[in-house]
Amino acid sequence: MVSTDTTTIPLREGFWTNLRDGNKQTRLIGSRCSSCGEIFFPKKEKNWCVHCNRSTLEETTLSNKGKIATYSVVMQQPGGGFYKGPVPYAYGCVDLEDGIRIETLFSADNFDQLEVEMDVELVIEKFYDDENGNEVVTFKFKPV
Amino acid sequence: MKNLSEMREVYVAGIGLVPWGVYENKEHYDFGSDAVFNALKDAEMEWNNIQAAFIGSVYQGTGSGHQVIKEVGQTGIPIVNVENACSSGSSAFRLAYQMIAAEIYDIVIAVGMEKMPKGPIKSTAFRPWELASGFNVQMANYANEAVEYMHETGASVEDFARVTVKNRKNGALNPNARFQKPVTLEEVMESRMVASPLRLFHCCPLADGAAAAVLCSKNKLKSIKRSISVAASTLTSGVYGEGIMMCGTVNSLKFPAKSGIVKLSADQAYEIAGYGPEDMDVVQAYDTMAPAELWDVEKLGFCREGEAPKFLKEGVFDINGKTPVNTDGGLMSRGHPLGATGLGQICEIITQLRGEAGKRQVNNPGIGLAHSMGAGPNSSVTIFKK
Ligand SMILES: [Zn+2]
Repeated sequence: MVSTDTTTIPLREGFWTNLRDGNKQTRLIGSRCSSCGEIFFPKKEKNWCVHCNRSTLEETTLSNKGKIATYSVVMQQPGGGFYKGPVPYAYGCVDLEDGIRIETLFSADNFDQLEVEMDVELVIEKFYDDENGNEVVTFKFKPV
Repeated sequence: MKNLSEMREVYVAGIGLVPWGVYENKEHYDFGSDAVFNALKDAEMEWNNIQAAFIGSVYQGTGSGHQVIKEVGQTGIPIVNVENACSSGSSAFRLAYQMIAAEIYDIVIAVGMEKMPKGPIKSTAFRPWELASGFNVQMANYANEAVEYMHETGASVEDFARVTVKNRKNGALNPNARFQKPVTLEEVMESRMVASPLRLFHCCPLADGAAAAVLCSKNKLKSIKRSISVAASTLTSGVYGEGIMMCGTVNSLKFPAKSGIVKLSADQAYEIAGYGPEDMDVVQAYDTMAPAELWDVEKLGFCREGEAPKFLKEGVFDINGKTPVNTDGGLMSRGHPLGATGLGQICEIITQLRGEAGKRQVNNPGIGLAHSMGAGPNSSVTIFKK
């Protein structure tokens, strides 16, 4: 589900491809090293592969399907005041089909349904409303 | 690079602690300098004997070690502040050890101290988008790793609770611990859920506190009898491919690390010391969250992967077991003043090897190991010998 409403803003620019930019599907944007094949998310700012130490990174889009590797349901507000989303919330790691593990928030009708090795897919969802009334959206993975 | 086993021997001449707890009306330099005075007294040395100071803390700010020394006496010696997350205290200790081993100084003090800040803490262990996504909840980061550990080894949440029960039982024998009341398995399992599957009593409490150690060469020792030698002190920071969620890294699936940092730092320490895990009579492992102690003792080589829950249940890690772990109650009872923790663990090993641990004394230990982790990540292993 992808909102194209102009009052929605992404948590951070450049994390995923937008439908409104003419893309057929929303995908996370990463970097792929053409020398060693390692994949990074988010996309690396510098053209430098921190695995093989070569300047051979290319922008790539990632698979939007994967399996849950780990997860936890957080029952209390994180410290520091940086997090403005709902509580409880769930986050953990998903292993994508292309062979990269990423840390992500989870979306679920009921967090009790989350399980290791469960099939999940990418969604761009509302995260919270900011102080200016904008809807801030972010990427999450949701059970298929 | 110099071969550490060929350098001169380094001894711990004295240690100093303050009780772990909440110091409402005292600042880090108040109880930090108390730890310094206690260590000097224990070493039977005067402040003007000290030739350099390495002082670890995480949240105390610029020149915080200098503030401690200002309460003791400004003698012009070099003071270096060490921030290395939860391994700050052990990193300060390692620098002091190296300075003496390399014959640059003969007597050096290492200090770790922390007054835990109240309110929002700006964490530099995470990128801004990770903070905004709520990925900085350390209980949840350990919970994620615990879920993976359970999936791989078949460990249960009750196994994690047994770590808390053991450590709180040991903490009840430690007059310096923040929590000195034992808890039952039921109490742990009924405590409130913090980050599934971890509950409140699976997590260590925060605390304020300080610890110090005076290190010196053999010829500077006042008392040979109570001195303990440093057999190895290693520090391994992050390696590519190993995921450590407490500082926002996840495993590489294409290029996983051959060895993680805990195993690397331990293997290096065993090699330098000339001993193996089977030689360790007393161990301080890193139990910020209960499950971490289980995979920690496995990675340190005290049992194979997935075996720790069984050994724990059999009492292997009890004070009277084959490999006593966290005899002072660990972080679980002591509390976790970030910059002091690593040195606090070291002080417990020294106390045990001297035979001065009172009710929690292990039967005649000769060699001991302390392990601390830190966001970054860092893994620090120190081995001591009577
Ligand atoms: Zn590469």
